[in-house]
Amino acid sequence: MQGAGAAEAHPESGAARAASPGVRLLGNPYLLYPLSFALGLVVWEIIASQLPEVVFAAPSAVLTHIWEATLSGVPPSLFAASIQHMIVGLLLALAVAIPLGFLMGRNDTAFQMFDPVVNAIFSIPSVAFVPFLIIWFGIFFEARVALVFVMCVFDILVTVAAGARNIEPKVMDAARSFGARGRLMFFRVMMPASLPFLMTALRIGTVRAVNAMITAELFFATVNLGEYMEDASAVFDAPAMLAVVFLLALFGLACQEGIKFLEGRLLPWHVRGAR
Amino acid sequence: MTPTRKLMLQLSGIAIVLLMWEIAGRIMGENLLAAPSIVAVTYVELLLDGEMLIELLNSLRQMILGFGAACLVGMPLGALMGRSRLIDALVHPWISMIVVTSVAALVPIFMMLFGTGFEFRVAIVFVATIGYVVLTAYHGARGIDPKILDVARSFGTGRIDTYRKVILPALFPYLITGARLGLVHAIRAMVVAEMFVIVGYGGLIFQTGLDLSTAPILGYLVTIMVVSIGANVALQRVGDRVAPWYAARMAR
Repeated sequence: MQGAGAAEAHPESGAARAASPGVRLLGNPYLLYPLSFALGLVVWEIIASQLPEVVFAAPSAVLTHIWEATLSGVPPSLFAASIQHMIVGLLLALAVAIPLGFLMGRNDTAFQMFDPVVNAIFSIPSVAFVPFLIIWFGIFFEARVALVFVMCVFDILVTVAAGARNIEPKVMDAARSFGARGRLMFFRVMMPASLPFLMTALRIGTVRAVNAMITAELFFATVNLGEYMEDASAVFDAPAMLAVVFLLALFGLACQEGIKFLEGRLLPWHVRGAR
Repeated sequence: MTPTRKLMLQLSGIAIVLLMWEIAGRIMGENLLAAPSIVAVTYVELLLDGEMLIELLNSLRQMILGFGAACLVGMPLGALMGRSRLIDALVHPWISMIVVTSVAALVPIFMMLFGTGFEFRVAIVFVATIGYVVLTAYHGARGIDPKILDVARSFGTGRIDTYRKVILPALFPYLITGARLGLVHAIRAMVVAEMFVIVGYGGLIFQTGLDLSTAPILGYLVTIMVVSIGANVALQRVGDRVAPWYAARMAR
């Protein structure tokens, strides 16, 4: 499976890194993350100062733009409008992909039958379906929901199927030998064993959905944040464009880290490698 | 499960999907969804016409450049991040940010920076790919068993030799995984960028969509699917060839 999650698939490998005392002092995340942020901004500022301002904006200009625009209340209301189709599309994708993923993961016949087809469709870039979505759903809300759905449904399906397939047989056998079956088996054994990969699927799906949200607004009728970007690009307002991208990236990161945090809270038995 | 039964199941799965598609296509009509029988005929015409393959080769050439550059920069960077906590802390937040950033949102900015030509497409593919390559190499480098490093040290292996003979071979399967994952995203980015500015292969897909002719679009999708799967299998083969000792461990 060539999943979007593969880059995140080795979280348990953290213990290997030895830290000498000097490095440990430097390794303090409360010190390093602000430092990283500041250094990145400096590099960005230097690059931007070499380029004309209509082409690429410095972080100071971007942050000023964000500050002023937020005071005017425009970006928050645009975000609120954009999130609507993202959430509807994501929920539809979860509703379709999770049952299908379990079916494929727990039933070997179903897995062998549909794994090649799913992988084949998964390897087509989702955006290439845009012409179809226009033909079927037009260019407004329905089309945007459909694109969000298409862009995250396969990522979720592949993750859930792989996870359900890899539930330790030992766990199930042990429960069965203690007489667990039926509802007890499902709620007390299957569910806890499934929650980790369901959370992973949710995380991957949400990041994809944030990605799809802006893609849809740029590829169909440009509305909300997409329109904001289009308008800015028409008048060469580089700070405004970068502001949208920057806010979207922060929003995506916040979703991802938020779900990771929830994972740690809800699933303390599923210990991840320390970051 | 015997291999024959597995193959039968896989073939029947494909057959079922094709059959459902054929029925849906017949009901919906060619303007909404061309049935596979029609697509097959159109596909032969597309192959003979040659425009599809020429555009594809052009687009792939630019994609390969961006992808190659991302691998060249991303793999050493990821390995460094995995071995040095300081570099990791400084670079990781920004890499995470690049990974979650939508390619489509970057397209308008990159158009202002690079125009819509060659540099634009290479740059978009580079940015879309590098995060995944870095993160995979990073996880590989982090996960290197300290035991084997200790063994190397106790035999007096020098820094460069440790890197060349211990770390690199241990990292290799991750580099291949990273390249495969990156390639998926490189192809995605290529199509997004090209559909947006309507050039190259992605432009061909978008333009055909405007004509409401579904059979050729499906043909183009089949081609990009074959390219994507083919490239992935090829990379996997290369990996198995160059580092056979890991083929079993990294089953996927």
